[in-house]
Amino acid sequence: MWWLRTKAYRRFAAREATSLFAAAFSLVLLLFLFGLSRGRQAYEGFLRWLERPGTVVLSAVILAAILYHAGTWFRLTSHILVVRLGRLVVPRKVVISGLVALWLLVSGLVLQLYARF
Amino acid sequence: MAEETTTLRVARYRPERGPEAYVDEFDVPYREDMVVLDALNYIKDDLDGSLTYRWSCRMGVCGSCGMMVNGVPRLTCSTFLREFHPKPVVVEPLENFPVIRDLVVDITDFLEKLREVKPWVIREEEKRVEDGEYLQTPEEIDRYKQFSMCINCMLCYSACPVYAQDPEFLGPAAIALARRYSLDSRDQGRSQRDEVLGVDTGIWDCTFVGECSVVCPKDVDPAAAIQRTKVDTTTRGMLAAVWPFQGRT
Amino acid sequence: MQERRKETGGISLDDALGASEKWDFEPKKKKPELYLTIPPKELVFWALFSAGGMVTAFLIPIHVAILGIAFAAGWLPDDALSYERVLDFARHPLAKIYLGILVVMPLYHWAHRFRYAVHHQLGVHGWKRLVATFCYGTATLGTALTVWILLRI
Repeated sequence: MWWLRTKAYRRFAAREATSLFAAAFSLVLLLFLFGLSRGRQAYEGFLRWLERPGTVVLSAVILAAILYHAGTWFRLTSHILVVRLGRLVVPRKVVISGLVALWLLVSGLVLQLYARF
Repeated sequence: MAEETTTLRVARYRPERGPEAYVDEFDVPYREDMVVLDALNYIKDDLDGSLTYRWSCRMGVCGSCGMMVNGVPRLTCSTFLREFHPKPVVVEPLENFPVIRDLVVDITDFLEKLREVKPWVIREEEKRVEDGEYLQTPEEIDRYKQFSMCINCMLCYSACPVYAQDPEFLGPAAIALARRYSLDSRDQGRSQRDEVLGVDTGIWDCTFVGECSVVCPKDVDPAAAIQRTKVDTTTRGMLAAVWPFQGRT
Repeated sequence: MQERRKETGGISLDDALGASEKWDFEPKKKKPELYLTIPPKELVFWALFSAGGMVTAFLIPIHVAILGIAFAAGWLPDDALSYERVLDFARHPLAKIYLGILVVMPLYHWAHRFRYAVHHQLGVHGWKRLVATFCYGTATLGTALTVWILLRI
């Protein structure tokens, strides 16, 4: 298992593994929508599943994985996204900050969607 | 007064002696300003003249002296002994390449791949000498300059886990150099190189592990070159599917 | 120039490269330039992976935090996830598109990464078609399922 050999390789393997958790959450969302399509009983049954402590733990694990994905994704994007202003190149840290700012904005908008209509 | 020494553990392989590789241990005099290459040269000059290895400029521009130093691909002319002293230094031939002898590897695969990407300016028609030079603005040079710094040292191929498993993979340096020429304003051959790059043993085999860029001694960032090529190729390919007016190269 | 080269024993570039090395340029000028091309599949897979990565990075964290943790912890307003409110929202066509993207893009992101993980990390050499079909096939099945469910809402 070459990807266990060095710290960098292990981090790479962890990064790739986050995609499993992304797919897992897609499944959760699908169940959410399926419950919604089946009617009130099914939907509220799903909500009760969401409230279980086991589900919260699972969600925390998924969240940690997806946050690791986001962090590494922004770092990778900063290598690819070259913003040139004449002869100056925007430094990678600034690109990452921009992406994080955008992420905060989007997250805020989604939160508004849920918490206020 | 005893001279301070440091220990080098050097991988040996002498095909005329048998198929097995073995390790020789040498004690070399140590000074703070010595690099691994200095130690190898001392061994060859004073201890064992049969030690075989490549080196040339000894200043980090020719790309000849790449070897594994304590398991990491390094240029031995740019790796200081003081980084490891007093612990022993393990020197092995560059990984992922067949070993010819001792620390010398067969780089044919890389050279063939380099040739495949046509690392030269391709013109439909050469400018006549009388018409003067090709002119480039500083901004046009900026576009490819970073990728032109490659010294073909192949440390990136040693670091790449994809190349380790799939010897058909084109590899970081070849792709970075392809991009260097395709981005050159004088060049008109991008579509030719894209044919070589756009296969599944080309850019698509790369999973952006990024170790190639970490080990690169000239900050070429081949990983970035590969990913940007993926973006460009994808954008162009998607546009070609919806926009019927095909452009130039 | 030619004469001088011959005198000094030099050879022309063509001879040095050999006939097989002649650069062949596509006949760009003659062809009618109005045509569409189907993008090669690797392009499409990578585009989906990349877009999926963006969606996963930007949108998924907050959804996980809200649905998976905030709701159970009682941090949301009481009626935030009520059946009526969510149904009302989800019936809107734009909402369906949004929800569709939210579910489907991470699946294609997973598919591409998993495909290469099987080859490069699990050491499965060969079986390229099978592995790719399994990965992208699963994502496509998920897409079909998502569309079907969204249409029923």
